[in-house]
Amino acid sequence: MSVLTDEMRSVAEQIVAKYPNRRSAALPLLFLVQSVEGHVTDSGMRDVADILGLTPAEVLATGSFYTMLKKKPQGEYLISVCRNISCTHLGAHKVFDAAREKLGIEPGGTTPDGRFSLEAAECLATCDGAPSMQINYEDFYKVTPSEVVEIIDSLAAGKDVKSVAGETVRPAKDIAFETATAGLDLPHETADTRERLVGGESPPSDMAPGHRPVVPGIDAPPAEGGGS
Amino acid sequence: MIDETYMVLKRAREFPKDSWTLKRALDDGAYDNLKKAVTEISQADLIELVKNAGLRGKGGAGFPTGMKWSFVPKDVFPKYVVINHDEGEPGTFKDREIAERDPHQMIEGIAIAAYAVGANKAFIYCRGEFALGSRRMDRAIKEAYEKGFLGKGIFGSKFDLDIVLHRGAGAYICGEESALLDSLEGFRGQPRLKPPFPAIKGLYGQPTVVNNTETVSTLPHIVANGVDWFKGFGTEKSPGTKVFSVSGHVERPGNYEVAYGTTLDQLLDLAGGMKDGKTLKAIIPGGASAPLLTHADYALDFDSLKEAGTMLGSGAVVYMDETTCMVRNALVTTEFFAHESCGKCTPCREGTSWAVKVLRRVESGEGRQEDMDLLLDIANGMDGRSFCPLGDAASWALRSNVKLFREEFEAHVREGRCTFDGEHKELVGARSGIDTGISQQGDEGLGGEDRLS
Repeated sequence: MSVLTDEMRSVAEQIVAKYPNRRSAALPLLFLVQSVEGHVTDSGMRDVADILGLTPAEVLATGSFYTMLKKKPQGEYLISVCRNISCTHLGAHKVFDAAREKLGIEPGGTTPDGRFSLEAAECLATCDGAPSMQINYEDFYKVTPSEVVEIIDSLAAGKDVKSVAGETVRPAKDIAFETATAGLDLPHETADTRERLVGGESPPSDMAPGHRPVVPGIDAPPAEGGGS
Repeated sequence: MIDETYMVLKRAREFPKDSWTLKRALDDGAYDNLKKAVTEISQADLIELVKNAGLRGKGGAGFPTGMKWSFVPKDVFPKYVVINHDEGEPGTFKDREIAERDPHQMIEGIAIAAYAVGANKAFIYCRGEFALGSRRMDRAIKEAYEKGFLGKGIFGSKFDLDIVLHRGAGAYICGEESALLDSLEGFRGQPRLKPPFPAIKGLYGQPTVVNNTETVSTLPHIVANGVDWFKGFGTEKSPGTKVFSVSGHVERPGNYEVAYGTTLDQLLDLAGGMKDGKTLKAIIPGGASAPLLTHADYALDFDSLKEAGTMLGSGAVVYMDETTCMVRNALVTTEFFAHESCGKCTPCREGTSWAVKVLRRVESGEGRQEDMDLLLDIANGMDGRSFCPLGDAASWALRSNVKLFREEFEAHVREGRCTFDGEHKELVGARSGIDTGISQQGDEGLGGEDRLS
């Protein structure tokens, strides 16, 4: 069962075209799956494997490594409270407790209505705003427990909530799509222009990483007339 | 009080309302130095210029940028430039601000670096969580293409460049350059054995320069003003300025750009001093990886901090006051490393998660007197025994917390409780996955029903 429609597959091909090597598109394509399914599903990973010419196990190996690629259903709004040094020393636990109490869920959990997920995040590089949090990766600085409750109430009521930079908090699937398609619509054809600067021959577009043995059919097309 | 010395943050601080827009950047002279570089300076001269300026990488290691470029073989193609914008060292938030507030300066710097080494393709590896920064870079890249600052025949020269914006997906280890390259190739972000270094065999096995966001953002200023001007700031071996991310118990946390050689005291003054007039207890001078200092009488340059037994690192300075529980500090830091260990090397993978168990015990008042020696033993078992510096960093941070504040650890054990407020346990223990002992990056939350069958 395919989860990526023909339209999504054409977006996927545009993403793949950004890179000299198809496999490099693994992370954005997994974000694309997340933008459709809400998390990275088995069938979505099979689609990614199909598009990239990998095995599903290889896609799982990559996808399971990264914390933003979610392995179980997520809420529409993911609240990530930073737990690292500066935030902890400035009272992150109070922010965290307020969110936990308000939502009635533990870290890694999602409310039964599917609206909110909560997680303890590692340093979000917002230490100047400690204690800080992100909601669907928009930043909130110097958060107080009562503010967390207010923000959750506003989101639950469908109101517009703005980050410290004035960006509107958008649903998780929208943000996953934005992440998947970062930098699209750019011209990406320089292979033929290189020699104008310095000379030299073109590399194979699907070359294997230099530090690994080439695995026919995975890292590169099978060598012609090769094996026996 | 000293003043800040703006270079990388100049446009951002002078025009806080619109420094990231094309119009403001162009009015302020953006891309003039790219034009100067590609039309007036040869590639070899440009590398010499940056070498002579003594610019050192600002991501953490402080390696001389010009020298890194000169390792790239001249006759192997294609070559790549990869920008490390995967800022994640706890306490560091400079690259985030540089990209959010001045993406055009960054793009100009990337193009100068790519021209110098003869690369026609550059990748920005942008941390996945940086939604705003990614939006602004994305837009700025498109604007630069429209204006002809990127693409073919830049400023009428023979130099072509494409920049590809790539988003990470949540993994601290991808800030390590070889793990970053693996991640960019679509693999788990695990470090490679070096040598070969990326300059020889990097992305897709081709020569690759990996430079930090702040480093490339400095390049237009060097091209504009030359070696002597640049060396007029900072110290002999650490020339120029540095953006320090100041946080913790200070009145005005934020990014401050000062010349290298500024002291930790002066930086604290800039940040308004200690919050609520409390007393300074400890300083992390260069991100969570750096060993602690207990007073602010040190100069912020690579050599001075090395002499002091710690490091400048990424320039993240965390000031902590008298109310800080150092056992908690060690625990939070070590939990971070345990979570972010990629799991490739046994000493780092096992050492960090066992240290967390022992630290939890001490912090919750169930520790034993021999735990402090046990922690030091674990630290020794990790230091210098893994592919990349993550395990080393975990051991340095742990060791310095235990050695400098041993009395505080012992008091926890003696009194059977946290000797500070102790109310933070819920959050500290909240990191899903750590309790299972298989806390490494990526191993969390993959239940049986999600597995491919």
